[in-house]
Order: sequence, then C-alpha cells, then structure tokens
Amino acid sequence: MAPAAEILQSLRRCVGNEHVLDSDLDRFGYSYDSSFVPLVPPHRPDLVVRPRTAEQVSAVMAIAHRHGIPVTPRGAATGRTGGSVPLRGGIALALDRMNSILELDEANLTVTAEPGVRTSDLYDHCAARGLFYPPDPASWKFCTLGGNVAENAGGMRTVKYGVTRNYVMGLQVVLADGTVLETGGKAIKNVTGYDLTSLFTGSEGTLGIITRVLLRLIAMPKARTVARILFASLDDGCATVQRLLQEGVVPSIAEIMDHLCLEAVARHRKLDLPQAARACVLIEVDGEDAAALAAQTARIRAVAAGCGSLEFKEARDQAEVDDLWAVRRSLSQALIGLAPDRLGEDISVPRGAFPEVVRRIEAISQRHGLLIPIFGHAGDGNLHPGVLCDLAAPGEAERVERVVSEIFDAALALGGTLTGEHGVGITKRPYLARALGETGVAALRAVKGALDPKGLLNPGKMW
Amino acid sequence: MSRPPSRPPGRSLLVQAKDLVTKCDRCGTCLPVCPLFRVLDLERASARGRNTIARGLAEGCLAPDRQARAAVEFCLLCRACTDTCPNHVPTDEAMMRVRQFFADEAGGPSSRYRLIGGLLRSRRLLRLGASALGLTRRLRLGTWVPGRLLPREFPRDQYLAASAGPAVLAGSIPAPGVLPTPGCRVAYFQGCGMRLLFPDASRSTLNLLNRYSRVAVKGNGCCGLPHLAHGMGDTFLELARSHIELYADADIVVTDCASCGGALKHLASHFEADLRWQGPAAAFSAKVMDLTEYLVRMGYRGQGKRDITFTYHDPCHLARGQGIRSQPRQLLESVGHFVDMKEPDTCCGGAGTFHLDHPGAASQILACKRDNIECTGAGIVVTACPGCLIQLTRAAEASGGKFKAMHISQVI
Repeated sequence: MAPAAEILQSLRRCVGNEHVLDSDLDRFGYSYDSSFVPLVPPHRPDLVVRPRTAEQVSAVMAIAHRHGIPVTPRGAATGRTGGSVPLRGGIALALDRMNSILELDEANLTVTAEPGVRTSDLYDHCAARGLFYPPDPASWKFCTLGGNVAENAGGMRTVKYGVTRNYVMGLQVVLADGTVLETGGKAIKNVTGYDLTSLFTGSEGTLGIITRVLLRLIAMPKARTVARILFASLDDGCATVQRLLQEGVVPSIAEIMDHLCLEAVARHRKLDLPQAARACVLIEVDGEDAAALAAQTARIRAVAAGCGSLEFKEARDQAEVDDLWAVRRSLSQALIGLAPDRLGEDISVPRGAFPEVVRRIEAISQRHGLLIPIFGHAGDGNLHPGVLCDLAAPGEAERVERVVSEIFDAALALGGTLTGEHGVGITKRPYLARALGETGVAALRAVKGALDPKGLLNPGKMW
Repeated sequence: MSRPPSRPPGRSLLVQAKDLVTKCDRCGTCLPVCPLFRVLDLERASARGRNTIARGLAEGCLAPDRQARAAVEFCLLCRACTDTCPNHVPTDEAMMRVRQFFADEAGGPSSRYRLIGGLLRSRRLLRLGASALGLTRRLRLGTWVPGRLLPREFPRDQYLAASAGPAVLAGSIPAPGVLPTPGCRVAYFQGCGMRLLFPDASRSTLNLLNRYSRVAVKGNGCCGLPHLAHGMGDTFLELARSHIELYADADIVVTDCASCGGALKHLASHFEADLRWQGPAAAFSAKVMDLTEYLVRMGYRGQGKRDITFTYHDPCHLARGQGIRSQPRQLLESVGHFVDMKEPDTCCGGAGTFHLDHPGAASQILACKRDNIECTGAGIVVTACPGCLIQLTRAAEASGGKFKAMHISQVI
C-alpha cells in the first residue's frame, strides 16, 4: 500500500486542495446522517472528498480501488437509515458540489441533472416550464437527487404518480474501479440488455456512484384541491381510499393518521374535532380545472359517506388548503412533546392489509406499554409507526428493539416489507434475511460481488 | 449590592449546550435557510453542523480546539434555523453557551471582543466615544476611521429635502391618535449602535417619542448582547442589573434597536436561578417595547404619503427575536409605497461584529440582500436595527445610488 501521504496528495490533485478535508472537525461533520445510528462514537471517515465532476469521481474511485479504500457516497445526509454514514472509515464522497441542472428537454419531457441538485430546486426548475417532477419525499426541500435515486425515495404522491424509480430513465454511474457506465436513455421503449437503471435505483450506494440522472417529466396538473375527512375508525378511512381507487377516482395524495396522531395535532393546533373521530384522511386531487376537481370531490364525498365518514371538509381557497395541510405538516411537531424520542419506522404492506397491520401494531404497543402513533400513505400502503420512547431510560433501548422487530414481523406476515422509502442502510440490516430469505440475500450478494468485488462501496450497509 | 450569581463552571456550559440541541435529529431542514451555509457549503458551516459540534464537544468526541472554536464563532445567531426547525432547536443559544465555554477555558474572550466589550461596558467611555465620533462626523473625517467602522449615515433632513413633494412639509405635525395614559412614564433605551453610529436616526426616534409624552433619556450603557454573544456572560449580567435599576421608575422602555430590544425582552431567562433578580428582570423585560411596536400601539398616523417606494429589511432580532413583522410594514405603508423584497427576513450578514470578523462571508451575504433590494425598485431600504443599518448602508453605497438605507424613525 502506498503511504497515506501519497494517496492524500493524489486525491488533492484530483479535486483540488480545498475539497479534500482531513481535520478532525470536518471528518466529524461527515460522520452522521439523520438516522438513529448513534452519533457517539462517531464513524469518522479518514477523508472527506468533494468532487465537482464525474471525471473527478472516476479518478477518486480509481485511486480508492487501487489502494483498497472504502468509499461512502453522500448527498445532504438526510437519510433515515444510516445510508451515508461512513461505517468503515475511508473516504466520505460528498457529491453536494455537483449541483447543476444540465438540460430540460421539453420535446422529450426529460430533465438531466447532477446528483447534488436539491429535489425541490429541480421541481421548481421544471414547474417554471409547466412540467412536473412528482416524487416528493418529505425532505424534498433539502435532500438531493443522488440520494433520492440511490434510496428510491417515495413521498406522498406515490398513490397516483409512483416513486422515484418510475421517473428514472437513465443514469451515469461511476463503478467501483472508476470506469464510467451509462444506462438507459431518452428512448421510452428500451429492452436492450438488463435494466441496469432499475438496478442502480435503490442500490443505496453499494454498487456505484451516481453522477448524473436522466428523469422523466409529465405535464403539471393545472388545479389542485384538498379535503379532510374524519372517520370513526381507521378501517373506514382505508375502505374509502380503496373504494375510490376501485372506482377510478385516483387522488394525488391520500394520507391517513390514527387517533393518537389526531389527538396530538388537535392539541397542538387547538383544533376542535368531533369526539368520535378516530382517524383522519387528507385527500388531494388534481386535474384540468375547477370543474374536474369538483367532480372528483363530489365522488369522494359520496364514497366517504358510504363508508361512514363523520365529517367532510373541503378547502375553498388557498388559505384553507394551507390550513388543512397544516394538520399533516405539524404532525411531527405535535408528536414531539409526547416523549423524549420517537423512532419512526417505514414498513409497507399491500394496501388491503393496512387496517390489519395497524391492529397488529396496536397489539404490540399494548403488549410492551409503548405508545405507537401511526400515520402513513393510505393510498400506497406505506406507513410510519413512530415508537414513542425514552432511549435514556434503562432497558428502553432493548424494549424498543423488540417492538421494532415485532412490527417488522407483522408487516412481513401480511405480505409487506421492511421499508417503503427509507432504505435498509444500517438500521434495518439485521432484518434483511427475514424479508428476502437466504436465497434473496445471496442473489443480492452475487450482484454486489460482480460489480464491487473488493467490497469498497458503502461497506457495512444492507447486510 | 449583592454578589452576582456565579455562572456554572465550564464543563456544565457544554452540557447546557448539548441539552439545548438534544432535539436536533440532524434531519437537514435548516440546511437551505442558513445564510452561512449558502456561502460556505461545508457541514461545519451549517446550523446542523454547529449543533452537532456542540454535542460532540459535550460528549467528548471532539477536542475543544481552535478549529472547533472558530466553527462556533462562525454563526450569525440569526435564528433562521430555529424558525424552520420542526423541533425549534435554539442553535443561537447553544452557540452562546459554547462560546462562553471557550472564553472561560482561555481565561477570557479574544482580545478583540475584550476591547469592544470593555468599551461598551463603561458608560463613561460610551459617552466619550459618542462625542469623539460626533466630532469626526462634523469634520467629515469618517473615511479615515479604519475598517470602514463608521457608516455614512443618510440623515433625515436630506431625506426630507430629497423627497419633498408639494404636500409633504406643509402644515404642522398632526396630533397623535391615542395619547398615553396620564402619568405613564416612557423612557428611551438608547443602544450603543444608535448613539455612536446613527445619531441622526436616534434624534428622530426621540422626536417621535416626544410627540406622545415627555420621554426620559437615562444615559444607559450597552444592552449586553455583544457580551453575551462573545463569552462575557458576567458582564452581560452586570449590565442587565444596571438596566433593571436604571429603569425601575419607567413604565415603558422604548428602544429603536432590534438587538437591544431582543436582549432586554429576554433578560428574565438569564436570571432563572437567581431569586433576588428574577422578579425585577421579568418586570423590566415586560416594559420593553420596540419603537415600531410602540408607535402602532399608540395609533401612529403618518404625515401623508410621499411618492417614495420603501422596502423593509427584517432584523433577525426583531422578526424572529420579538415576532415583530407587521408593525414596521404598517408604518411604512402609511407614509409611502411599500414593496416587500424576496427573503426580507434573511440576515444581512451584520450580526453584531460578525461583519468585522468575517468580512468575506458577510459581504457575500450582503450581495444577495442587495440584489433582493434592487429587484424591488425601492428608493429606500428601511430597517429597525443599527447593526443591519451598517450593512445596508454599505449595500446602498455599492448599489451606486440605486437606493439609500435608513432607520425607520427617519422616514416616518
């Protein structure tokens, strides 16, 4: 192995002196993300390297490959499962300087961008031309596209518009040895070879470094409105959403929250809600014009009433739209006061199993004496049970671990999965085999072994 | 006089800072709003980074070295992060604790802060400073003051002359709409920035206040914010006690400095463990009002609209620190055309002495602010804090005459 100083020199030559950080303080700054992976002791990378171009990424990877240095890619470090935490040291490859939107191709309805572009910036850029990039992870104002693709991020609009994967048409990926791979393209029909675009989407930085993304766009819906529906039970709320989808009324968003969330928000925002309300569904519809919206909301109102809704409130202007959304947006804040810590999980089940998985989580909550408020995307079956706890209390961490494990079991037993949009990362790693089976894990390993035989890319993640 | 309460020793300052940031789950919501992260895109320059540094120091996995100290000094204390944070983590308060920790460790703040802190601490030196600067101004020697420390104030009479329309100066000033309750004793808290750097604006404030009642001017010392921000916590407390005593006989204490107002309104929280002073501190804080807040409360009416377009820069310590956003706009709308700029409440980069300590970053932030001001087409950018006015005066000079910068008391 070459002396460390020589490696440092060559990396500095690649990206410029000021873009290789090696002080204690800076290495600490790139040791964490937004997950519950403990901050202490910190997983400091040996170096932080901040390339500006794909060529620089390629050169950095070539050096890392030659010297067997682990590399952990990182965007804005907003992930929830430890995906960008440099678990084995080595290089933290920060891609946030690669933040140019390269092309908006209106004829082909595509946009090409670098991985460090913020999701909402891309959205705004396209929206200015009447085009719509739908994926909207909750962190869309501060997360970046590279991470969105690497984690196959979801969001609230999934029920109608799908997840990030549904918009990725092509990628430029720097492979473990520094070679540059181009996948997919602007042709819509494309079955030439394996679908590598899909393989790298959701690969969590373990197979290659995404250095450019080609994304599909659609026309921006011209009008949107929101309604809030209260129900006496979560089953009634879920039944409404299912019935709507069966009837072809596809809301652009259908968010549900259980009674614990509802109570917390009502307290937090001083809302006066009917006593009997035990679940709330927020529905957004979009369409061509006000008439199209009115037609949809009329049918939603009828279907909800058929399912026993207690109250139907439709926004009449922008202020009311904001007001209704505030219920959902203030949820995290409303839940904060209830306990020192909240471990947000991310399971996903077939839409039809939503009420049942909630019942099972309620049973788990009672068994362990920990409150677990649940909200989620009723339209797509992805739900976020948040285990309220005090991790500083003795024995609590173990108890929470048992609760989480049982929640995963409940999801898997109903045909669901561990994670709908956050990824496996570090935190869900112990449960992977339970979800995929030994053969499934072996197949993943085979892919990994083929593309990254030295195991340098984001080591310690996924399994 | 009773002994000042001894501040907790060093280690516990870090623990306090850690407790303040414990609700930071590093989600990243603050990343796009931190003005410093916009000009230096390194984790340590972000609010999330600074919060985590505070935790790292408290938990012992970061050495309290020069670099860590520089990182906590590199904060505007503007609270943009706190405002947008889902958990409202008070980064500014945590940073002040960590700065105090570093100052204590080093046996005091750095010599620059010690010098500034010492000057502002003494009422006698303040008085001398004010007269010296006044003389400098009269002799037009302002450009000789090093570091462009002395801003070129755009005075009210020039503004009136420049903006004089047919109906503007005719007639006498109308009587105020609401009179203070008889016997209500109003005092003016004259901050160092107003006194030393913007005497014309300060006089305008006094004129405005005297329309309602005879206002007491007490020759107060510094509000103490610079001391609190830079590891001179004991001096801050000492100054705070002097204000509480000095203004004991006032019912309302009006200030035209957002930073002073913010500091004075929050005095009580610094005396929570002090039985002797907590009551008086809370009573004092309750009396403090910003000038704009006071004028709106008094039903201020402008002297008719001028044909001038104003825009307004929200001082951090007024908008986020005191929740005062509508009052200045309401006042400006009553005396001219008003256009809001983009991101009116983003810090101008002044931030006390930040613009002197980090001129590069401060001027990058200011360039952004200047763009936003110019986009409005306004002839005058108004603000309500001398700290901001220093920066905005620079922006006005850089704009090559496109706009002027003035304190709100000078234009209403």
